[in-house]
Amino acid sequence: MLKNKSVPVGNLLVAWCLGFFLFGTPANVHAKLHIVSTTTDLAAIAEEVGRNLVEVNFICRGYQDPHYVDPKPSFMRLMNQADLLLYHGLDLEGTWLPQIIEGSRNRKVRFGQMGNLDMSLGIDPILEIPQGIVDRSMGDIHPFGNPHYSMDPVNGMTLADSMAERLSILDPDNEKTYHANAEDFKSRVASKLKEWHEKLHDFEGTRIVTYHRSWSYFFHRFGLKYLGNIEIRPGILPSPRHLAELAVEMKRRKSDLILNANYYPPKWAELLAKKSGGRVAVLPVHIKGEPQVNTYIELIDYLVDQIAEKLSGSAGK
Amino acid sequence: MQRFLLATGLCVFLFSAPEIFAQTAKGPDEELKEFEKLMDQEILETMESKEYEEEKPLGSKELKRLDLMEERLKKVEGVARQRTTTFGTRGNALGATSTGVNRLFNPAISLNGLFTGAYRSEDNRKGSSGSALGNEFDTGFDVQELEFNAVAFVDNFLKGVMVLALHDLDAIEIEETYVDFVPFQNLSIRAGKYFTPFGRHNLLHAHQFPFIDAPLANVAVLGAEDGINEVALGINPILPLPWFSEFNFLIMDGRNDELFDSDFSDDLAYLMHSKNLWDLGENATLELGASYAFGQNGTSFEDTRTHVVGGDMTLIWSPLNRTRFRSLIWQSEYLAKFKSGAFDPTTAAAAPDEDVGGVYTSIQYQIHQRWWIQGRYGFVGLHQDARADEDTHRYSALLAFANSEFQSIRLQYNFIDFEDNGSRGFDEEHQVLLQLNFTIGSHPAHTY
Ligand SMILES: [Zn+2]
Repeated sequence: MLKNKSVPVGNLLVAWCLGFFLFGTPANVHAKLHIVSTTTDLAAIAEEVGRNLVEVNFICRGYQDPHYVDPKPSFMRLMNQADLLLYHGLDLEGTWLPQIIEGSRNRKVRFGQMGNLDMSLGIDPILEIPQGIVDRSMGDIHPFGNPHYSMDPVNGMTLADSMAERLSILDPDNEKTYHANAEDFKSRVASKLKEWHEKLHDFEGTRIVTYHRSWSYFFHRFGLKYLGNIEIRPGILPSPRHLAELAVEMKRRKSDLILNANYYPPKWAELLAKKSGGRVAVLPVHIKGEPQVNTYIELIDYLVDQIAEKLSGSAGK
Repeated sequence: MQRFLLATGLCVFLFSAPEIFAQTAKGPDEELKEFEKLMDQEILETMESKEYEEEKPLGSKELKRLDLMEERLKKVEGVARQRTTTFGTRGNALGATSTGVNRLFNPAISLNGLFTGAYRSEDNRKGSSGSALGNEFDTGFDVQELEFNAVAFVDNFLKGVMVLALHDLDAIEIEETYVDFVPFQNLSIRAGKYFTPFGRHNLLHAHQFPFIDAPLANVAVLGAEDGINEVALGINPILPLPWFSEFNFLIMDGRNDELFDSDFSDDLAYLMHSKNLWDLGENATLELGASYAFGQNGTSFEDTRTHVVGGDMTLIWSPLNRTRFRSLIWQSEYLAKFKSGAFDPTTAAAAPDEDVGGVYTSIQYQIHQRWWIQGRYGFVGLHQDARADEDTHRYSALLAFANSEFQSIRLQYNFIDFEDNGSRGFDEEHQVLLQLNFTIGSHPAHTY
């Protein structure tokens, strides 16, 4: 008995090749450089530096927690078109960005390529680098230090420089424009910086409770201090005991401001305010986190104004 | 009739779960009230404690902790500067090449353990597990699986993955070992042994299963072992369509003994899968997939092929501003195999085809950051010959508590309804399964 088999592989290959030709159509000729950033903060600064030479898209919405983003395939599609990927690094996007890069099948934005830019490389100092051995019992700790550096306007300026530098490598013809745009952005931030310092000057040394340590760089710049955080450890929900401690300590130090980033549920902050006699400010921590904050300067402006206003109504410091 | 009762019962269970588990998963308002009560107690205790005095700025140990944290931060900031300048230039103990033991390039390793406890209402004879559909677990306790997962970039082109699994504490299995590679823009290639993209559930490792057990349809159609887990070469392009569309084409060695396993080594098997995903606004996505695989089976020299088809639909809702706190996943799959029977040369008659199909549909609802309630219905018995196996229905309910991404405790109840007594001597079975799932080491990749 002979082995009888028809080979249908041919048909399949034809079908598959058809698909190959379909996607093989030249889609890689962009007039503009396509930038994809993980957060709205980086996107907004990239807009300032690239202006009409670039098209900028971002993954994480301004009102979304950048620590926890679903690696949706639609982001892979977006990343597939990118010439340059901008991200915070320091493991902020560690649980979701690698899957998006891999799923995108875009060689340009893979690690180690010119189209892959870790924005933390230009930041100095990095705050809160854990000492000694890092362990999961510490919660979802940021093992390489705090990645929320874009909230310090001085870092904002550094970010613009890093972007201009990388864009000049990818698009050397427009090197001068990128650097000029970055300088323009920096001078606008610099002139605002004085005003911001003045507004918060009176509150230097004030202790504030926040949900997460999203505020470290902002506080560092303007001389504010943490009293504590609502989450026990990064990513770990508060316990009654922990909030009780905070409430007692707030009363003792006559500290009454609680900042809650708008993507964390405000219920614990509200409870703490009730017990300590403090007040809660639910604030955006990224651009486009609220409809009225659409640029980098608008974000810092908004935060400075809100915090100054809340603190000036306080009983003590 | 009974089925209706059960389905109703299951629905009632699902919707009343927050009350049933009042101690653990109560409504958000009540929970907050409870929280407040406890907090008041703690505040009182602190205020009454000896250490607490209005005038003294510091006293109790707990309060000192906050200041200690502040102190530590100051130190840390000083260290940060030093590190950024020295790290990577002089090396450290981990990366010392002079010792010949350089650990800096170790792969990212994670280990996963699954401890299970099970109760079966029927058939507790030793060794009866696995003999029929729906009884993978014996009454008692077991280490269901221990998984070792290592990932690293091989060089500037390849990423390598190795997954070893220990089952029932005695057998080691190479569950996956493959490399990924992006040779051209828009196309990736995977080569090695891996869980193939035949639908959604077939891709998962045991510790990623949404329920403690696999869907009946996957077990009945693709086999109880690992489903379609093959040594294969897969080409995976992204198609240039207005939505996310991925296509997989795999040439496989065809070793799955339920489906392929031909007597000839040149009989390869083939698999195709199309995955399509649409965003429904910002907070939801719809995924539709279709799968097809075929290959020569091992029943005879004749052209006896097995065709496997599948379809899947998944709706995920996860509000962007509360991703970690609430989500809903509705997932359904249809799977069927059409396996031509053997031709017996002595009688010149063909044996009956072994066709079988099944479906499942499941809902996973995250009611709280750490709590999930889930329900699943599964059915096997489509396309079956009248003489072949009977219809089987299974109704499952599950409650999961996940303290973090690295640990979960799950309690599952199954009711299995067989068409008749068959050879097993009972036509209904109740099961209670309990599982502890933990991961140590590197952060496991999130899937969507
Ligand atoms: Zn953080």
